[in-house]
Amino acid sequence: MNAWLYLHFPHLLLDYQLALQPPEAAVKPHALVHTVAARRTLVQANQAALQQGVEVGMADVLASTLVPELSLNEHDRLRESAMLTQLAQVLYQDIAHIVLHPPQGMLCEIRSLLRLHQGFHGVLARIQARLEQWPLRYCISSGYSPLAAKLLAQSQYALLTSEVGVAKAAVAQLPIEQSGLPGQQIARLRDVGLLTLGSVMQRPRAELGVRFGRAITLYLAELAGELAPPQDFYHPPARFDERVELAAEVATWPQLLFPLKRLLQQVESFLQSHQWSTRALLIRAHHRHGPPTQVAIQFAHAVWQQADLLSLSQLHLERQQLHAPVLELSVRVQRPESRQAKRSQMFAEVNEHADSLNELVSRLQARLGESKVQSTQLQDDWRPERHGAIQAWQQTEVANANAVQRPCWLLPQVEPIHRHQWQLQWGPERIVSGWWDAAPIQRDYYVALDAQQRQGWIYHSDKGWFLHGWFS
Amino acid sequence: MGYPAQVEALLQKGWVWQGQNAPLNKAENQFISTGWHDLDQRLGGGWLQGSVNELQVQQPFIGELAVLLPLLAQPETTALWVNPPAQPYAPGLHYQQVILNQQVIVNESNNKLALWAAEQALQSRSISVVLIWSNTLSAIQVRRLQQVAEAERKLAFVITPQQREEEARAYVTRLQLQRTDNLYISVLKRRFGWPLPAFPCAVDKHLPRRRRAL
Repeated sequence: MNAWLYLHFPHLLLDYQLALQPPEAAVKPHALVHTVAARRTLVQANQAALQQGVEVGMADVLASTLVPELSLNEHDRLRESAMLTQLAQVLYQDIAHIVLHPPQGMLCEIRSLLRLHQGFHGVLARIQARLEQWPLRYCISSGYSPLAAKLLAQSQYALLTSEVGVAKAAVAQLPIEQSGLPGQQIARLRDVGLLTLGSVMQRPRAELGVRFGRAITLYLAELAGELAPPQDFYHPPARFDERVELAAEVATWPQLLFPLKRLLQQVESFLQSHQWSTRALLIRAHHRHGPPTQVAIQFAHAVWQQADLLSLSQLHLERQQLHAPVLELSVRVQRPESRQAKRSQMFAEVNEHADSLNELVSRLQARLGESKVQSTQLQDDWRPERHGAIQAWQQTEVANANAVQRPCWLLPQVEPIHRHQWQLQWGPERIVSGWWDAAPIQRDYYVALDAQQRQGWIYHSDKGWFLHGWFS
Repeated sequence: MGYPAQVEALLQKGWVWQGQNAPLNKAENQFISTGWHDLDQRLGGGWLQGSVNELQVQQPFIGELAVLLPLLAQPETTALWVNPPAQPYAPGLHYQQVILNQQVIVNESNNKLALWAAEQALQSRSISVVLIWSNTLSAIQVRRLQQVAEAERKLAFVITPQQREEEARAYVTRLQLQRTDNLYISVLKRRFGWPLPAFPCAVDKHLPRRRRAL
């Protein structure tokens, strides 16, 4: 049984950067170069560049002579490792045991998943389906030991079988140069005529140890799976704060939509792996100079799916202006919460109703701004302007009843009035409250009619007569 | 009533609209009672489901909210208030048995965005009534609202100052509200009949009792 799968992404950084851009960008030739002591060689190239004759390992001068429109960027190993981690987060939705082999590979243990996905090919199909969402070039290979799977994948030998014998034969075919051993060792083995891994494995191990040192016996034991070095399994981080570098400067939000889509896809897998949902995102656009543009997005209901996150974020971003071109984009998940339903009511239908009202409010708030969508609630304060406070919308429990008739409208600002234009109908009702803080009141309230026979709520205080509300 | 045979044939096809007769397709469940008997009678049974209705008010606060209170006080009514003229006051609404956490208030000075919000609400299954205060709805905007309301079978009300010129609008019902000693409603337009003159509507029974001055 081949219990290990190894995924090798030879062009990870480049593919990932292109994945963040609209598909038409990938049609142009791109390549990454690595600089060693003033020698710049190509390490990664996209399909368009390869088709035009560019090869990995070529000098950059040669490549750009061959394809003048080739766009070259510096290869950044750290960034590539960070992307591998982000990718692991995506795969973690399907595979529990992942070991990162930075910068370009990851190892998956699949024995524990065989029953869940109905066998080896079920697991494989699952991984392939997940990776299909990402335009990444990869080589996946199975192996009876972690090292065997890794060597096969790195040599682009896509061996997908659960039979150990086939995998052993394939490993034996590998040239010694691809053994992953230190260069000195390889040279010594080649000098004595051991040109493939198979020829090394056939030799008695003890004698090899005597001649080439103990390292080689350990290596062979690891390759055979007899020695299992401890694996450092990947654990999803507890927080999500990822940033991506854009291939080119971007000046408008619509152009940022594509990278944002990818980031939100990662947010979804992050939330999914923790079984969380979120009520707030912080999107930041980083500029060359100065502080980043921040957009804080609040959701009135908890969301976790990419489609919801995206449509709400889009409404938010339509209101924003970018004052400078953007180089990098980052997304942070704030206030994640566990996804279990909070049922306070007995009947599910009631909650469902409230949920969809929350959804609507989220959508309105996203487009109009949080402060413009409001609710009105009863408060435990007898001062009229605080008793029925207006606030940014939130779903609350209904407060207990109050039997006094009050107007349905309250003026945001009280209006001074002339007493003689009003006909008092009912009153006074004296309201004295708030003596404990800075806004004490002492007022006599009346229901009164104005010249047009409208019913108003007016009061008299030491400052004079004021109109405070209308009854209908 | 006897008609010539040709007219009878047209009637059979439903191509002739008859003002004086009750409409053929009028069904009880199409209407939601306004809560006011007199008004129900004049509108053929109540507010038509899936309609935008106009309330023209002589002045704000003369009783237009009282006309809608029976509808808003229904326990299943969830309403969006777009640009109300003052702050809807929780204690007063609560007294009128309006359920406070089913009222969503939107204050948006940009007319376009306000209408966008109204349209979103009409399309959401959680909102049943949309109230819009606006002075400047164009014929196109009204028609658009009416289309959405009809498709989603929702009720919308537009509260607006008295319109001077009789410009056609796609409202299903147009009412004019006036107050002297009582609230008078005249029907300027209705679905199944001719306009009607002003009649008193007893909305004051929900309001503090009126009496002579102290």
